[in-house]
Amino acid sequence: MTGSTLGMMGVVVLLALLLAGMPIGVSLGLVGLGGLALTLGLEPALIKSGVLLFETMTRYELGTLPLFMLMAHLCFAADASRDFFDVAARFIGHRRGGLAIASVAGCAGFGSINGSSLATTATIGLVALPEMRRRGYSDALATGSVAAGGTLGQMIPPSGALIVFGIVAEQSIGTLFTAAIVPGLTQTLSYFIVIALLVWWRPGMAPRMPRASWAERRAALRRVLDVGLLVIVVTGGIVIGWVTPSEAAAVGASGALLVCLFRRKLSLASLRRALEDTLKTSGLIYLVIIGALIFAAFISVTGLTDAIGSTIAGLGLGPVGTMLVVAVFLLLVGSVLDGLALMLLTTPILLPLVTGLGLSPIWFGIFLVRAMEIGFVHPPIGMNLYVIQGVAPDVPLSRVFKGVLPFLAADLLHLTLLVLFPVIALGLPRWLSQ
Amino acid sequence: MKLLRTLLVWIAGSALLLAMAADTLAMIGRQVHVPLLGAIELVQAAVLVAASGALLMAALEGSHARVHLLIDRLPPRTRVVLERVQAMAGAVLYAALLAGSGWIAAELWSGHEESELLRIPYRPLRVIAVVALALLLLHALRRSFTRASR
Repeated sequence: MTGSTLGMMGVVVLLALLLAGMPIGVSLGLVGLGGLALTLGLEPALIKSGVLLFETMTRYELGTLPLFMLMAHLCFAADASRDFFDVAARFIGHRRGGLAIASVAGCAGFGSINGSSLATTATIGLVALPEMRRRGYSDALATGSVAAGGTLGQMIPPSGALIVFGIVAEQSIGTLFTAAIVPGLTQTLSYFIVIALLVWWRPGMAPRMPRASWAERRAALRRVLDVGLLVIVVTGGIVIGWVTPSEAAAVGASGALLVCLFRRKLSLASLRRALEDTLKTSGLIYLVIIGALIFAAFISVTGLTDAIGSTIAGLGLGPVGTMLVVAVFLLLVGSVLDGLALMLLTTPILLPLVTGLGLSPIWFGIFLVRAMEIGFVHPPIGMNLYVIQGVAPDVPLSRVFKGVLPFLAADLLHLTLLVLFPVIALGLPRWLSQ
Repeated sequence: MKLLRTLLVWIAGSALLLAMAADTLAMIGRQVHVPLLGAIELVQAAVLVAASGALLMAALEGSHARVHLLIDRLPPRTRVVLERVQAMAGAVLYAALLAGSGWIAAELWSGHEESELLRIPYRPLRVIAVVALALLLLHALRRSFTRASR
């Protein structure tokens, strides 16, 4: 049996284990270990896994993930999660569709302190959905805008998915964060445009509401000032190279601790809750990262990526054509796998192919996260849709999906633009490095 | 179990807070031209302790990332059987990782590895990783032999 055949069999077994509901980290690790044992022998496989485990657990960059999570949990403890929505709602809520736009803006704001799609959707959904429904917004627009907006949590730095990609693909997390800024902002803008078009087409979907006074606006702005400043220091610090991503995460967590202290929300109980939630979430991601690295080691020794690379090169599609095919493939596989599994299954296989085509691995990271985000809002996985249904149980899932469809169309267009114009992702890091 | 959880939260949580403080002070120190040498080594050691605790916390909570597409549609009894099989598969992985990590730790034991600047010994760090894996293995075995543990 050739190495690439074994590699392909490994991928098939992995897919089967994932679909059987096996924990992602365990599936990746077992297939990787089994594959390494078959290709190199049991002893080298065990030693390689042991080395990978210790190297991963002592990686300086690995601290980035839990510290950014701690920052998000502490901001949550400080009751800062709804402030971004509140301030946007005070400023633009009176316009037709303004609250839906404020929801997306709130998701983008909350996404800048938190790297998870699901947490962003749940948090902003809890605040924005009741408000929009109370003001007579259509259920489809209200749920659709929050479900789609929630995916911004994954793209806007600090992004958990980009940190995981950076570690697994050995790419600079700082450059990935910088590269994600323009795609994140253009994605936000595309959602604003979708909402504007929808309410222009059907004004009844989003009635106007009274304009907030300047005193109310100033009060809302004051509430977001401390966390806003923290976001600027953290993200801006990474972008201008003032701090490394790990330092930014540490500064962010320290700053969030201070925010809690100033808002009189810091207690032993709230600190314990924030630490516990951080450890639980980072623990499951650590297992996935360790498994993914073992799986990647197996894939690299099989030569599977070379075989796939030469097959695709033989098709003569060119970089753009190939990436469009890859995008369709990711969207199809994303229909049955959730985002993290999709990223970790495909990165070891697709990354060498992408770099072989002369494309940037940083761009690929952004592209992959963008494709993952789409999986969050389309059935049958569509986790954000289920989160929304949890927040508004009386809205049928079919209506939530109907509401998200226009945003999904914008997502597909945005993904295509990202493939056609890689400068959307790579422009800012290139400009800053000059 | 409650005591273990509390201990884990505070030990791993303190390590995380130590990493946070070390990196923050290192950044401030760099800006005011008072470099905090060895901060990276301190963070690396703290991250290992935090990661070991985090892995155990996730296992105790049963909060593993998984694909729910099919498993959520299975009848409860089939799901229980499948969860036992999954716990056993987890035990096999942890046993393999434990064997690999233990092997390397034993090989390097007399080498007295340490970090370059602060001379943090690696022996205790390797022991912490091995102990965490052993506890993960025990927990996975317990889950695979007891009823509906999640």
